[in-house]
Amino acid sequence: MDTEQGVRKKFVVPIGPQHPALKEPGHFEITVDGEIVTAATVRLGYVHRGIEKGVEQHNWAQAMYMLERICGICSHVHATAYALGVEALAGVQVPPRAQAIRVLVAELERVHSHLLWLGVAAHEGGFDTLFMYSWRDREMIMDVLEGLTGNRVNYSCNVLGGVKFDVDEKQADAIRKAIDYLEPRTHHYLKVVTTDETLIGRTRNVGTMTAAEAEKLGAVGPTARASGVPRDIRVDSPYAGYPAFPVRTITATAGDLEAKFIVRLQELFESYRVIREILDKLPPGDLSVRVKPKVPAGETVSRVEAPRGELLYYLKSTGGANPDRVKVRTPSLCNWGSVLATAPGHKLADVPMLIAGIDPCFSCNDRIVTIRRRDDAETWTWARLRQYGIEYYR
Amino acid sequence: MNIELPPLVALLFFPGGLFLLFGGTMYEWADRKLVARFQNRIGPRWFQPVADVVKLLAKEEIVTDGVNPVLFHALPVVALVGSLTAALYVPMAGLAPSYSFTGDLVVTLYLLSLMTLSMGLAGANTIDRFSLLGATRALTQLFSYEAPFLLALLGPAIAANTWQISQVDAYARGHWWLVLVQPIGFLIALVGLMGKLELPPFDSPEAETEIVAGPMTEYSGRGWALFRIGRDVELLVGLTLMASFYLGGIANPAEFVLKTGGLLLVTAALQSLFCRLRIDQTVGLWWRIGILLALAQLFLLVFVR
Repeated sequence: MDTEQGVRKKFVVPIGPQHPALKEPGHFEITVDGEIVTAATVRLGYVHRGIEKGVEQHNWAQAMYMLERICGICSHVHATAYALGVEALAGVQVPPRAQAIRVLVAELERVHSHLLWLGVAAHEGGFDTLFMYSWRDREMIMDVLEGLTGNRVNYSCNVLGGVKFDVDEKQADAIRKAIDYLEPRTHHYLKVVTTDETLIGRTRNVGTMTAAEAEKLGAVGPTARASGVPRDIRVDSPYAGYPAFPVRTITATAGDLEAKFIVRLQELFESYRVIREILDKLPPGDLSVRVKPKVPAGETVSRVEAPRGELLYYLKSTGGANPDRVKVRTPSLCNWGSVLATAPGHKLADVPMLIAGIDPCFSCNDRIVTIRRRDDAETWTWARLRQYGIEYYR
Repeated sequence: MNIELPPLVALLFFPGGLFLLFGGTMYEWADRKLVARFQNRIGPRWFQPVADVVKLLAKEEIVTDGVNPVLFHALPVVALVGSLTAALYVPMAGLAPSYSFTGDLVVTLYLLSLMTLSMGLAGANTIDRFSLLGATRALTQLFSYEAPFLLALLGPAIAANTWQISQVDAYARGHWWLVLVQPIGFLIALVGLMGKLELPPFDSPEAETEIVAGPMTEYSGRGWALFRIGRDVELLVGLTLMASFYLGGIANPAEFVLKTGGLLLVTAALQSLFCRLRIDQTVGLWWRIGILLALAQLFLLVFVR
């Protein structure tokens, strides 16, 4: 739009905080010239829940249940990252059977998360048939997880020092059956995303990011791997049961949306393989060891590979019954840069798919940042933070 | 079938008026149900589209700031009237067209375009950014499919050597199904109809995940209900026209239901098969492939005759 002074006025399309493309609130300001995107910005923080602060008011065991609720899709990896950190601080050795079960649930969770993403990404591109079918198949995994843990979402599989439940032969068979069903389905989906002309038209050469750019933008997980950056915590620094049951890093070189589809779907085959291997060779032994309620003073960083990429936990203990500080950095936060950097030059129609391409989890990455000036540094209690939140949104 | 109905009955009840409103919503239901079954869903119950419309008609209509209120209220009516009038010239429900004159094919096609035009104007009338983008896309799409669609429907007209729908219908009944003789024209007309109705994969003017509801974003209540019925009626009219021209004409109500139902099945399958096309892909498809095929068929017809 030309104004009288000849200055081009910006035409900004707001996507969010409430928008059909977004399943969680986030705000994107997409500046467009006709259909072409010229700039994109993001504003996050609509669903800050004060969980980091909240866990400081609870003891080490209780904190895990709160942290597990950071994400509704990858709840298990949050609990695992936290449990691994606490166990490192406490200096306990978790039995191998427990570590294997942690990996089993983590991989099942990855399968359900990637299938969920496949559906969401297809829906953003207006391909609702793929969306419906992939979500139907995802139900198999949801049923398996429910049968295994009793829950569909927050599995609550971990305890500090191990896991809560064992996997018996009947459950193992149910998992094998689900995997046997899903494997050919995944082959089919891989065929669809690589051969369907209309889908390729929306994904190939869209949002292309080179390996160098991915490195520079700090991308993690499948987003980075689609650009050929072999970054996978399960391989780079194996944790829990991964030393015993190694996975292969899946990478692609194209770096576009199609590569993200391919990487995620091929990771599923790797997950299926690991799940079968664990079920066949589940090490015998105890399920957990005792962790004392007071954790020795110290600091630790624990990293795990969530379905969306590297999940980082920083834990600090002062030797008390409660954590002194828990810092969570979820993978979505690392990947926003890649969306904003690749969006300009594309069509507006590509933006929802670009956003979906990193498999964003808005609520998980919302943290509060207060700038501490030299004099007014203060510590807030959980009650005060909660009150602040209530007042802010009134 | 040729039944003499009093003009007022034909206009208000059958085969125009109320029958169209109800029939249109039934076809919308059939379409939604079929797509749902193709997508492994249950789909709506048979009265869902009617219930939606009744509910919408009862709801408050919010007139947003910055619109021209006359246009805001008039455009849905124009769109509905356009499709309702178009229905009078086609062999609706297997009866002979209620009104017929030489060249009514051209008038019908124009009336069918009123819908998209009204939607485009309705979008451009508001200051909502999603509506503006949707309006741009709707009108861009109009310009891309309209010419091939028109040429595709001219095919049977040229074969029958008349521009009167009832005579083309009579010609189609007396000869081979034109879908066998002019398959290209059939395909273009069918896909063109989907583009006209903004069905997936041509739903980028109202792509939910990008621009909410496109030109319809600011419409609620009565206006939105009228646009919806208008589109349902247009679906019915479009399918009737297609069946009459390409599937051997429509001689009686049973043929009407079977042939339009069969066409609906095909469009429903096409709707669930593809990923949404971006607007530049839609335009590219029509101007690079659609128009060329339509022209090729047209020249072939002109020379063969």
